Amino acid sequence: MSAIGELRTLRRDGRGGLTADQKQALAKERRRDSKAAAVFLAPWLLGLVGITIGPMVASLYLAFTDYNLLQDPNFTGLENIQRMLGDERLGKSLLATLTYVVVSVPIQLAVALGLALLLDRGIRGLALYRSVLYLPSLLGASVAIAVLWRLVFGREGLVNAFLGLFGIQGPAWVAEPDTALGTLIVLHVWTFGAPMVIFLAGLRQIPRQYYDAASTDGANKWQQLRKITLPLLSPIIFFNLVLGLIGSFQSFTQAFIVSNGSGGPADSTLFFSLYLYQEGFAGFRMGYASALAWLLLIIIGAFTALNFWASKYWVFYDD
Amino acid sequence: MRRRARRGALAATALALSVSVAGCGIAPDPADAELSDEDVTLTMTWWGADARHQSTLDAIKLFEEEHPTIHVEPTYADWGGYWDRLATTAAAGDMPDVVQFDQLYLSSYAGRGALLDLDAVPEFLDASSLPDNVLASGEVDGSLYAVPIGVAGNGVVVNTSLFEKYDVPVPDTDTWTWEEFDAAAQAITEASGGKVRGLSPFGADSFSLEVFARQQGDQIFDDEGDVAIDPATVAAYWQRELDWIESGAAPDAASLSEKAGVPLDQGDTVVGNTAMAFIAAGQFTAIAAAAPDFEYEVADWPADADTPEGFQYPKPSMYWAASSQSEHPAEAALLIDFLVNDPQVARAFGTDRGIPASEAFQEALEPTLDEPAKKLLDFTKLVGERSGDAPPITPNGASEIETMLSRYNQQIQFGQLSPQEAAAGFIEELQSAVDAAG
Amino acid sequence: MTTETLATTEPTTQPGKRPLVVRQRRRRPRILAHVGLVLVAIVMLYPLLWMVTSSLRPNDEIFTSPGLLIDTFDLSHYPDGWNALSKPFGSYLLNSALVVLGSVVGNLVSCSMAAYAFARLQFRAKTVAFAAMLLTIMLPVHVLIIPQYVMFAQLGWINTYLPLIVPKLLATDAFFVFLMVQFVRGIPRELDEAARIDGAGHARIFLQVILPLMVPALATTTIFTFIWTWNDFFSQLIFVTDPDLYTVPVALRQFIDAQSQSDFGALFAMSVVSLIPVFLVFLFGQRFLLRGIATTGGK
Repeated sequence: MSAIGELRTLRRDGRGGLTADQKQALAKERRRDSKAAAVFLAPWLLGLVGITIGPMVASLYLAFTDYNLLQDPNFTGLENIQRMLGDERLGKSLLATLTYVVVSVPIQLAVALGLALLLDRGIRGLALYRSVLYLPSLLGASVAIAVLWRLVFGREGLVNAFLGLFGIQGPAWVAEPDTALGTLIVLHVWTFGAPMVIFLAGLRQIPRQYYDAASTDGANKWQQLRKITLPLLSPIIFFNLVLGLIGSFQSFTQAFIVSNGSGGPADSTLFFSLYLYQEGFAGFRMGYASALAWLLLIIIGAFTALNFWASKYWVFYDD
Repeated sequence: MRRRARRGALAATALALSVSVAGCGIAPDPADAELSDEDVTLTMTWWGADARHQSTLDAIKLFEEEHPTIHVEPTYADWGGYWDRLATTAAAGDMPDVVQFDQLYLSSYAGRGALLDLDAVPEFLDASSLPDNVLASGEVDGSLYAVPIGVAGNGVVVNTSLFEKYDVPVPDTDTWTWEEFDAAAQAITEASGGKVRGLSPFGADSFSLEVFARQQGDQIFDDEGDVAIDPATVAAYWQRELDWIESGAAPDAASLSEKAGVPLDQGDTVVGNTAMAFIAAGQFTAIAAAAPDFEYEVADWPADADTPEGFQYPKPSMYWAASSQSEHPAEAALLIDFLVNDPQVARAFGTDRGIPASEAFQEALEPTLDEPAKKLLDFTKLVGERSGDAPPITPNGASEIETMLSRYNQQIQFGQLSPQEAAAGFIEELQSAVDAAG
Repeated sequence: MTTETLATTEPTTQPGKRPLVVRQRRRRPRILAHVGLVLVAIVMLYPLLWMVTSSLRPNDEIFTSPGLLIDTFDLSHYPDGWNALSKPFGSYLLNSALVVLGSVVGNLVSCSMAAYAFARLQFRAKTVAFAAMLLTIMLPVHVLIIPQYVMFAQLGWINTYLPLIVPKLLATDAFFVFLMVQFVRGIPRELDEAARIDGAGHARIFLQVILPLMVPALATTTIFTFIWTWNDFFSQLIFVTDPDLYTVPVALRQFIDAQSQSDFGALFAMSVVSLIPVFLVFLFGQRFLLRGIATTGGK
């Protein structure tokens, strides 16, 4: 049976297409599974109850208080939420964050996927390329980046020196409110190492027989990519997309380092997490910061849920 | 926890409570403080870079030699990490016993009961070696909560090498007027063909705003801790900056924005992009050390004939304070006393924490000083002579004043707001932050 | 499937065995690919090269030149930086290594177990549990750090590495659980079924079938846990206050102070030094990325 044919059948059946026999077997196994699940999930459950939930509940409670770090929190009901409605900087930070997420996540994924596909073709010196391409991700959060970014995107920086060759006088990219966010997007895309490595690992999971079979069927490279690689890689693409979104919504370090904690110039790089941090730690309004954090959770949660819903239509699981 | 055992309940719901339990705690009455007969371990924390860590560790060693029953456990971090960590430990009721402080946060901590009232432990701590107007900067609501360490005026740093290079005479900085100052700045820009600008303007820090306001007979905060400054004063402050940018005396907005918040050694003053700058004078020695090829002087602000006297004031660069939760308030006070009074400490610290505020320390230091430090000492003495009363310190809730200033400043620089709009917005935001802190 | 077919489709591992014809036919696109990759590589490498050259420059030249040419070659930042802090830099590297080691082991064991349950077992409230797991990584650390500190303080864990390692042992890093779930789901069910027919229980299927097939995911987890823990500043700063226990990211900050003079040369030198272990781990670890179903032959 050809791999492509097999894939088509599987996709048509979808996940719910189990036969009656299989359903019965499933029911039988279910009890055995539950016991095993208790064991396999024990560490995670212990961590959830013992370590994760407590601080989360605490922060949820604090979201409805005026907690200032140093004194008892007083319950203030919906006051923090009311404040959000009239908070101008909150609007700015939401806009900056959304722009950042919407632009940088797809580009980063595309670059990571493209290079992973290129590297997976078994090019000579593969290990070397892979390492080199991953290097920026090692540096991503280093304080050196702040210095370097100004040297690259400053008025006298490398980018402008390059543009100068064509007679273009570029602006001071990092320092202008209109372009500063753009440089952070470039910085994010530039650290595509993590999703790329995950894609590479995912590509290795795809059984080679499918390709061999497809070649025998006369499928060209493009058809193989569309009919084999992408469907079989889709769980990994999905993973990178979901985690990429969660991560970029919470993006903090790079903006913090490059803008020296201010979110400047003129709030143009005020990411949500950065704003929340400023409120909590510089302004001692940890109650409000907690409320902001839960707003962020709701936003991220909504995006994630949307993704899971949409994944039914394009993510292919082999189970 | 090692030092302060608390109820060990770990249930998730109890956690929300435990935050509040940790926050308030029951502070021991400092008036009952006495030295323990047994061995005591104090914790102590400060921010800085490595040189400061070493010199402070030396000072601790000296203290432990004199007080063999007291052991000091140090911890330190860089400026940013320091405040995050301090806030976290303070919130958990685990703040170190002796803490290096900055004026920015002093009221925010003292006003919320996190700091030890040092007036309550007079038998262990005597801060009378400090001038009154300096000591006043450590008081919140009339009680001393923090002892100033080093002080500095706000000065104009002048890169005389650049003046020489472009053949521009340095004005007489003892008597200079704003007009002379502007002319000199303009001359540098013109003589260098714009390669070097005359000055780095003020506009984004509360110290220069305070001195500017005092030159107009105004001040940022009143004694009640409310925002008192006239919007016109703030607008004039920013308008002055815009004028400099427009005339070319100062770098343009993008260049300034590019340098906003960079470490000192990458700043325009050190790199030689500008010939003059307004600085907290405590930075003078660091600037001089970072740019060995340049000669610098530090001078008082220009003043006109109608400028009120005493606009300068010695602002503490940092303080020592103690935790109100400390189990050993007597020993903590003793350590602070040692740090502000023992001449060995003066020699160990040098000028790293600024020129010490006490005359005794200044004398102990004087023979050891290098050229830039001597200039700084002279300037500090000059400020001491010329200074008026200290202004009210940054009140509880206003700890974000610096970030607010730089934010509004950038919005002005990029033409998003006029100085008048920014002044109104700044004052309103600052006052509401103060109000919110109660 | 035979080993011969493997060899022809797996040129990196055994390039010599590829039929000559195929090799020549592919040469031109290969060269193009190389040119593209080299260009990208230069852009990617530039910052690292810049950091290395900066560590070899006198301090005052660092911020004036974005280029890579060195006017004055100065090796002194390395010995100076190594010895500048209260302890030799090696002891901070060792501290970091301890934290990293604990975290890697913790993540590998606990996350793979949880992932097996989510991917292969049917149990009640699975969707809810999975959603809960994802929710736990959606709150920013800055509002969690204080309750966490209170909790760890009550346990007496402040100034130990326990707050950094124990959570990893308890699979709190949902990123890796989810990652492994996706990989396990990519492993064909028939393999489990075959083992089950042979009488294997879940423990055996997990250890003998699934784990060997998810080596790429485990390698990915190892590499990322290593790198992210190695670079993590905030939690290491907050939970560890004794300078003798400081880890590399916290120690590196001691070279810089925004208000006074910073030693950027030493900072870059020690940053380069601290990158070496990470890079070595990546170089070594990525070999395991190559394993998996593809190379084990799908059976």
